[in-house]
Amino acid sequence: MEREQHIEVRPPSAGGNTEEYWLNMGPQHPATHGVLHLIVRLDGETVREVKPELGYIHRSVEKMAENLTLLQNIHLTDRLDYLSCHMNNHAVCMVAEQACDIGVPERAEYIRVIVSELQRIQSHLLWWGAFAMDIGALSAFLYGFAEREKITDIFERLCGARLTMNYFRPGGVAQDLYDGFEQDARQACSDILYALDEYQRLVTGNLIFQERTRGVGILSRDKAIGYGCSGGTARASGLDYDVRRDDPYGIYDRFSFDVPVATAGDCYARYEVRMEEMRQSVQIIEQALKDLPVGPIQAKAKPVLKIPKGLQVFRQVETARGSFAMTAIGDGTATPLRVSYRSPGFMHVAALHEMSAGFKIADLITILGSLDPVIPDIDR
Amino acid sequence: MAVGLDLLPRYLDPLPGGKGVVSAVDVIVNWARAHSLWPLVYGTSCCAIEMMATGAARHDIARFGAEVFRASPRQADLIILAGTLTEKMADHLVTLYQQMPDPKWVIAMGACTISGGPFYYDSYSVVRGADRVVPVDVYLPGCPPRPEALLHALTELQQVIKGETIRNRRASKELTTAPPVDRMAVDLAAWEEEQDEHIAEVEANKAAWKEANPDFQAYKHPKLDKPKLEAVERVKTPRRGALPSALWAAVAERFDGLSLATCDEVTEDALAAMDADSEAILDLVIDPERYAALVGFLRGNEATGCDMLHQLTAFDDGEQISVLVHLLSVSQGHKVFVRCALEREAPTLPSLSGLFPAATWHERETAEMFGVVFAGHPDPRRLFVAEGLKGYPLRKDWSDPSRVVAREL
Repeated sequence: MEREQHIEVRPPSAGGNTEEYWLNMGPQHPATHGVLHLIVRLDGETVREVKPELGYIHRSVEKMAENLTLLQNIHLTDRLDYLSCHMNNHAVCMVAEQACDIGVPERAEYIRVIVSELQRIQSHLLWWGAFAMDIGALSAFLYGFAEREKITDIFERLCGARLTMNYFRPGGVAQDLYDGFEQDARQACSDILYALDEYQRLVTGNLIFQERTRGVGILSRDKAIGYGCSGGTARASGLDYDVRRDDPYGIYDRFSFDVPVATAGDCYARYEVRMEEMRQSVQIIEQALKDLPVGPIQAKAKPVLKIPKGLQVFRQVETARGSFAMTAIGDGTATPLRVSYRSPGFMHVAALHEMSAGFKIADLITILGSLDPVIPDIDR
Repeated sequence: MAVGLDLLPRYLDPLPGGKGVVSAVDVIVNWARAHSLWPLVYGTSCCAIEMMATGAARHDIARFGAEVFRASPRQADLIILAGTLTEKMADHLVTLYQQMPDPKWVIAMGACTISGGPFYYDSYSVVRGADRVVPVDVYLPGCPPRPEALLHALTELQQVIKGETIRNRRASKELTTAPPVDRMAVDLAAWEEEQDEHIAEVEANKAAWKEANPDFQAYKHPKLDKPKLEAVERVKTPRRGALPSALWAAVAERFDGLSLATCDEVTEDALAAMDADSEAILDLVIDPERYAALVGFLRGNEATGCDMLHQLTAFDDGEQISVLVHLLSVSQGHKVFVRCALEREAPTLPSLSGLFPAATWHERETAEMFGVVFAGHPDPRRLFVAEGLKGYPLRKDWSDPSRVVAREL
């Protein structure tokens, strides 16, 4: 409703005589979350058309993967969506496990869930800080990062890396949990819940924040499906689909958690959905920590992981941004014939024009921030 | 101000005691410059997150006087190259660098900007080292480097700045014009020959020594016990949505002569086996003529109900280019794959962008990577690669030695 008004009402000074013009945003721009290049057709301040230009961080990962074994591929997926690298690793490992029929010990499955959910929270915290910063609330960025560092510390003790973890292996995980991990994870969970309440007071109720996000960048449910949107972006548009629940992988079908769905489809709905997702992740972690079994963390895997000739293996996971899928086609050797990644952000940015046409250029920044894009994931 | 300072040594140095004055000015100017660096907000990939972490509360780059991150290169004097540099981005980096006022400094953060890092081999789009494009002052290794390492690089840069003098202020650093090709590859053949000779020499020496000392036994290191791993039975995840046999029945009723990629002949046994395997997905093979009709049927039919195009891509098996379409039923949960084999010369398919808006970008990507022409595509431009790249990189017969350093298996 609101959006139609924006499109209908032309600026009063227009009088039908204004000239439209093109504006280049990026690739070096503080609000494009990396090196996204937006070519915007403007009428005054009103956005008429957005054409995203990609490829500034296209690193030809799919070509490289054709000369690497599946095991060598894991570290490259860390660098696609570096904020959800555990989940990306999970997709590669599941492809290898399905192709070579490798089982995963119980304890490893639980560890995978715990670290994935911790990372989802970590990624959403960064998004929360960056999104608020895009709108102009600089202090939120500092709050978000302060909380995020606590989870980073856990990962650092767990696998030695702060950002690119390279932790999952076909048939398990690389190392067992360190002593005191469970305590640290519980502490992180309670810290997050406390911090989320604080964030609600700091940003969510802020009048300026509400004004700038409510009714801005509306994506209808039909468009969300048509553009292949997933994750929080799609769920904010009323598309009730979560890979963890609707195409379960690992042991996600053992946990009870809600999938937050909103129907408004605007930036505020996307904000609300992601904030609630963090609470749900805490719930999953607490359940998993309670049931965490003792035992081996790595199953015996084949020394050379070969995908049989002509077999197409497809696995999708729910990353912090949405449905990330890996497809590998084998040729019977150690290196696959073709590896392709389906990145969630790719489709969200494709739908950017649908969301932002008719709004002001300042709203374009808000809309892009609410999509939580990671450009290396989009460009691959 | 900088121009005035340059003139200072010319007039002061000949005077008695003038050199001391110039040195004193040096100390003050360098101190001021080193402790108020204004970095540019520039980050392409993973390293940018660590750069942000350095700027955030815990690591607090403000302690070193470099917290004023500027969005415009015209206000910055330091550029931290955080993240991989690609060919398409290289031109823009040069523009950014040239827009920065002198004096200016560059920190190459991370393995990618030092040498290409993990993307050194087989990548057709990555510049192997940012110093081929802009001059670099401090190299910071790591993938990605920790925030403490970035702070260390900053203090190193401060030392570099404090060593500068206004007497021979660095001439505005020349931009290199070398194309982004691999320097190593040029000398690689000579280096390998040298290595072969060296290895042969070592082997000859070893053999001679063994002959002279026949009783010698080499020392064996003690080894850690490897943990014995046990195989675990794989638990398959449950299926959601319609069974493959039901989907097949709905499709086969409408389309004759369909086949499945997973089995040679579609029999009842084969379908029952697919139903029993909860991970089996219906993988339909269709000819190019009926490709669009089949996808449209899968979308519109109630029994199949594939309302989302999950991905559209292709693969090259050396003989044919096959386009793959992954369809997903959001309401029911099942997936259906469609593949369509095309000839290598001028492969053409109708565009699906009318059915699914999502197909628009996937088809642009497939077109530039495999050379598949999608008839009726609304926006048939390139999506990812730079303009200069010839051919279709993901085809098996594509090669470009000027860009790619092939990994030897």
